[in-house]
Amino acid sequence: MSGNPSDSPRTKSHQSRRAFLAATGAAGLTAAAGCIGGGGSTPTINILTWEEYANEDIKSRIEEEVGVTLEITKSTSSSNMFSSWNAGQYQQYDIAIPNNNYVPKMMDTEKDGEPMIAPVDEEAVSNFDAMYDVFQGFADSQFTANGNRYGVPIRFGWYGYSYDSRSVPDHEDSYKALFDENYVDADLSGKIVMYDNHFKAMSAAALYLGHGDAFEGSRVTLSQDQIDEVKQTLIDQKPNLQGYIAADPTYIKSLKQGNFVIGQSGRNEIVEMWSNDNDWPSMATPKEGSLAWFESAVVSSASENKTKSWEVINEYISAKNGATLAKTGFSPSVNPNTQEQLTDEQNEMYGAVDPSRLEQMIPFKAVENEDAWITAWEEVKSA
Amino acid sequence: MGDSSSATFRDRLLSREEVIAWFDSRRRSLGITAGPALVWLVLLLAAPLTFMVSVSFVNVNESYQIVWQPTLANYEALFAGGGPLFQRAFVQSLVLSYAIAAVTTILCLVLAFPLAYLLARKGGRTFKVVIFLVLLPFFTMYLVRAYSWYLMFGPSGVINATLLKFGIVNEPLAMFSYGVTAIIVGLTHAYFPYMLLSLYASLDGLDYSLVEASRDLGASRTETLRDVILPLTLPGIISGSLFVFVPSLGAFVTPRFLGQGKVLMIGQLIKDRIGSLYAVGYGSAASMFIVVSIVIAFAVAFRYVSIEDLGGI
Repeated sequence: MSGNPSDSPRTKSHQSRRAFLAATGAAGLTAAAGCIGGGGSTPTINILTWEEYANEDIKSRIEEEVGVTLEITKSTSSSNMFSSWNAGQYQQYDIAIPNNNYVPKMMDTEKDGEPMIAPVDEEAVSNFDAMYDVFQGFADSQFTANGNRYGVPIRFGWYGYSYDSRSVPDHEDSYKALFDENYVDADLSGKIVMYDNHFKAMSAAALYLGHGDAFEGSRVTLSQDQIDEVKQTLIDQKPNLQGYIAADPTYIKSLKQGNFVIGQSGRNEIVEMWSNDNDWPSMATPKEGSLAWFESAVVSSASENKTKSWEVINEYISAKNGATLAKTGFSPSVNPNTQEQLTDEQNEMYGAVDPSRLEQMIPFKAVENEDAWITAWEEVKSA
Repeated sequence: MGDSSSATFRDRLLSREEVIAWFDSRRRSLGITAGPALVWLVLLLAAPLTFMVSVSFVNVNESYQIVWQPTLANYEALFAGGGPLFQRAFVQSLVLSYAIAAVTTILCLVLAFPLAYLLARKGGRTFKVVIFLVLLPFFTMYLVRAYSWYLMFGPSGVINATLLKFGIVNEPLAMFSYGVTAIIVGLTHAYFPYMLLSLYASLDGLDYSLVEASRDLGASRTETLRDVILPLTLPGIISGSLFVFVPSLGAFVTPRFLGQGKVLMIGQLIKDRIGSLYAVGYGSAASMFIVVSIVIAFAVAFRYVSIEDLGGI
């Protein structure tokens, strides 16, 4: 045995090493082929969006329905989505779901001479026709250029202001409650909050000042004089403010703690509080007009799975997933068929919305001279 | 054939002595030891800084693309607007940031110096316990610490609630609301250990026989502090001050939590501009004021102390 060279330990070692190398090489080649070819593997769709969209029920249903794997990265602001995509992350993500006023900005953005976002695949978004007419209209007026639509509304809500009804007496709903010290029969000094966002805070001030006509076109168009007037109004308001609130969860915590008693807010925050057995917050819909937001999905032009991405978006506005999304975020879906999936109580709070009410709302819009808005806002903040 | 190739391979291999001789070259050993760090610095510090300086001199067009044509427009935009110069948002924000960073640094110095002196003089077990207690909160996440201060301040925060409960005040005190005071307290808490450890390192190396000599020769405690201790611990004071001042100047999280949006520091101003308008040129130009001021601060520091002294030893 020892005379047979092939049986020597050295040769055995060589053989096993060769076998190992061969096996490793084969495994590596197989893996590489899988990566390169991609045939038969499940595509991954990367989404940059709000926390509620990562709900496990929705995620697993969509993955099963569309045949994809969803990788969802949570973001807390539309501006972060916009700036990060601009900085190059449009190559990393397939889908982003910012507020509607950021979609025109993304439509304007070019990367290497090409638009950053891709037109809607109308066939893949078959639930589009089930949307409220008003949102189909918004998509046509705000997201359409050169005959192509670039965004799909998903869910919506509106901003007004809310207050602690134990401290603030009933009054006619008006932005005067935030800006006019004598409007409400209560001392609100130091107990008011506004949103820490130039668009939301300045729009409220503009509507209070009667500049509603600036919100009528496809973009908000305040003149420089009007911007200066808005700026001065916000500066005058500042001594009465507790602060500017950055995020919605902060609003709920701070209102519960009693740090303020009245503040600009979204309806969904108050609905969330109502759902948690807090009956004392009241939501006001100002007579001057409420600003309505609707989150809208866009697909990156760099996506290798555009059709699948639009199919995923289509699932987010299906009756079942739209209803789950509404329950998770206390905000209604743009698809009224979701109401069939919700209880009467849920529909009363956030599921069912009278379409005529939607017609009266002012949708978020891109701003014509945003540089001037930002400059004015900075002057307010640093005053 | 096989034998000759093995021989060639063996020829290529260096003996142990040859490897040692190869490393013995000063240039090669310097390259191997400092090279990786240098590459790291170039890639992660010099290159981004160069890019930022470049971007501060170019514009972003309506398609949000950088147009590589030199312009001073971003610097002009920083000071654009009506009214006196000091009322421009950028100027106010910059001045406020400097003021907050300066007050934070002074507070850290004033609070940390006596403690560092005691620790250096007492030493032993006491030192270890106190240092542990001081550093204990810093084992937690910075955001959690900022949020704890958020709960302390505010009209209904722990401080005001306690004062009201014990009848010390009739209504919440404005000084304990969110704003500049809260930010300074938060930053002081955040950067206190940097000052403490820098001062301790410096005071620990102090020759205390000089302090005793000063006292024996009739100097008062104040004179001894002013004429002996402070000059000898200047490197520690400067290094601690830099460690506190620089991050305080560009603070973002603390002002966001504890300013509640009523205070606009330079970091927030830059972030909002880039987030809303993708104004990377404006943001870079604004950042240059921070970078330049920090370079000046370091230049002044190095004028009085060497880089070895900044380590506090």
